[in-house]
Amino acid sequence: MTGDVTGDVTSDVIGDVAVHPDAGSRRTSPRIVLVHTVTFRQARQFVPVLIPIGAATGFDGGTTAVVSLVLGITALSLLTAALTWWRFGYADGRSAVVVTRGLLARSVRTVPNDRIRGVEMEAPVLHRLFGLVRVRIDAAAGAVAGKDEELLIDGVTRAEGDRLRAAVLSDRRPTGAPGPTDHAEPVEEEFARFDNRWLLYAPLVGSYLAVPLAAVGALFRLTDELPESLKPHLVGPDLLDGRLLGLAAVAALLLLALGSVVGAAVVNWRFRLTRRGGSLIAVRGLITRRHTELEIDRIRGCTVAEGAGMRLVGATRVSALVTGLGDATRRGQLLPLGPRSEAWTLVRRLVADPGPLTRHPTTARRRRLMRAMSAGLLVTAAGLVLTPLAGWWELLVAGVLLTALGVPLGLGRYAALGHAAGPDSLAVRSGWLVREEAVLERRAVVGWQVRQSFFQRQAGLATVTACVGAGNGGYAALDMAADEVPAFATAASGPWAAALSRPAG
Amino acid sequence: MSIAPPAREPAWPLSRSAIGLWVAEGVIESLVLAVGATAFLLFVPSTAGGPVPVLRWSIPVVVVLAAIVFVGVRPWLRFRVHRWEVTGDAVYTLTGWLTRTWTLVPVSRIQTVDVTRGVLQQLFGLASVAVLTASSQGTVRVPHLESDVAHRVADDLARRAEQVRDQAT
Repeated sequence: MTGDVTGDVTSDVIGDVAVHPDAGSRRTSPRIVLVHTVTFRQARQFVPVLIPIGAATGFDGGTTAVVSLVLGITALSLLTAALTWWRFGYADGRSAVVVTRGLLARSVRTVPNDRIRGVEMEAPVLHRLFGLVRVRIDAAAGAVAGKDEELLIDGVTRAEGDRLRAAVLSDRRPTGAPGPTDHAEPVEEEFARFDNRWLLYAPLVGSYLAVPLAAVGALFRLTDELPESLKPHLVGPDLLDGRLLGLAAVAALLLLALGSVVGAAVVNWRFRLTRRGGSLIAVRGLITRRHTELEIDRIRGCTVAEGAGMRLVGATRVSALVTGLGDATRRGQLLPLGPRSEAWTLVRRLVADPGPLTRHPTTARRRRLMRAMSAGLLVTAAGLVLTPLAGWWELLVAGVLLTALGVPLGLGRYAALGHAAGPDSLAVRSGWLVREEAVLERRAVVGWQVRQSFFQRQAGLATVTACVGAGNGGYAALDMAADEVPAFATAASGPWAAALSRPAG
Repeated sequence: MSIAPPAREPAWPLSRSAIGLWVAEGVIESLVLAVGATAFLLFVPSTAGGPVPVLRWSIPVVVVLAAIVFVGVRPWLRFRVHRWEVTGDAVYTLTGWLTRTWTLVPVSRIQTVDVTRGVLQQLFGLASVAVLTASSQGTVRVPHLESDVAHRVADDLARRAEQVRDQAT
């Protein structure tokens, strides 16, 4: 039925557009050669080869040797960049996009326009200096995951990038899925705009905290590799001085917070989400400007994620679930960081409100508590055995502490559980470390999976997963009452789901 | 405490030959375990310290017990749990043993239907049907149907999916 059309096809699949694959009717801008020369984009792969050669020829570190090495590598980089540019071509026909590349082994990749899910334009610093952009075209990622499902056209002018995006996304409209706003003139409507005050949330978000930590790690590696003669000889501070340690800890925390704010600013600077015609366009970034375009007609729902730290200040992150879009966590972002009210206004504009969430039965709370405390209880039991035998009372204490910590964790996990089914949409919520609520359109559901383990059977619970051809493939209502399952599934999808309860007929 | 299951049982059982196939699989698994246990008895010297003396008699016992379960019990339990059904607008299966999984996929959202025949399955004249959707989690697998039934079901589903499919995503 649906074959895998995306892939390396040898020739004229694009039919009515007479584009000879080798002709590659359009080229990227020659200025990209300079960008790639400076960044050593293609020459990078020669580094593992060059190092042993340098070592073998007895590289002695003299000034002339260094200069000639630098010149040689730059020349090599220029050569490879030029060759890559020369052998790269692309063409956007009425029904497909073709990219031809490869120095000796030629590869021609053809992606039919109706398989294109979105277009992303990004402009790193150097590209911006030369007035160029990099265009990524996302093709339908079916069951196959990975980077193969995209076309990368690196180094076209901004105007050509805009033309390409418009051509690729609008060409199929007459034949493809009609959107409600197709024939209206493209009016821009702003959906969300990043307020710089929201950057203050960043120190409470795990992924932004990781940025300065990674930088610190890199710094440590660097100092490790510096030759001994270059390291300054500092006298170690008196580690017993409590005040100094306290000051250092406070300074480190401040730096960490500052680093995460800077990291968030670099990624999300002047974030703006607008609707133009049938597409949502997200623009963001301080150093690299990213321009992502998603088709509204392919959006099947949204997820609203709140980490434990973010919940303290009411911050959230919103992502769109787009059918067939790989790497949805990065490209589907609708609001990278913002206050809860703002996030929900945005979600409600895209997906209908399914109503308030239904709590799960109290047996579910017992199950969450038991699961959260089980590790602690095991350690406690081991401690009870080993304390009289070997005097390991530390184990007993650790076990009791773990069990006690499990109580708020289990209660928190239970409090996150909920599901709702409205006339046009459904919602499920779970998670404690990252609490995620998925709000899905009715039509998003392509199947139901009901799981019941032995213990769930005893407690009268079941886990219901709505299978969705977007996001991570399925969103689960954990531990809902077993007898509510058929009614929820039917209310949340369609009459076909009644097969779960209707006797065979 | 016995509580009604979250969903009803699909109507049809698998082919009875599936029991034979599962018995054959159980025999093969038991043989592999037996070879492993024999290798242990032959190559690990009985004079070695630690848990070896206990293992020398416990491993054969475990292998014999596992073989009894694999060959004599599991095939029949599996046969009792596994059920499937094609209704007017959906495909519906129940699989598993301790953890049971009900999967329901509407015909209108089917993307591909695969029929596979493994080596053992061919000996028993069986085939499996896999119904795939746009979701990686929404796959319905019906194992071990009689081969002609499997092909008929697959053809029928593919044809009906073609007629009713909307966007299928």
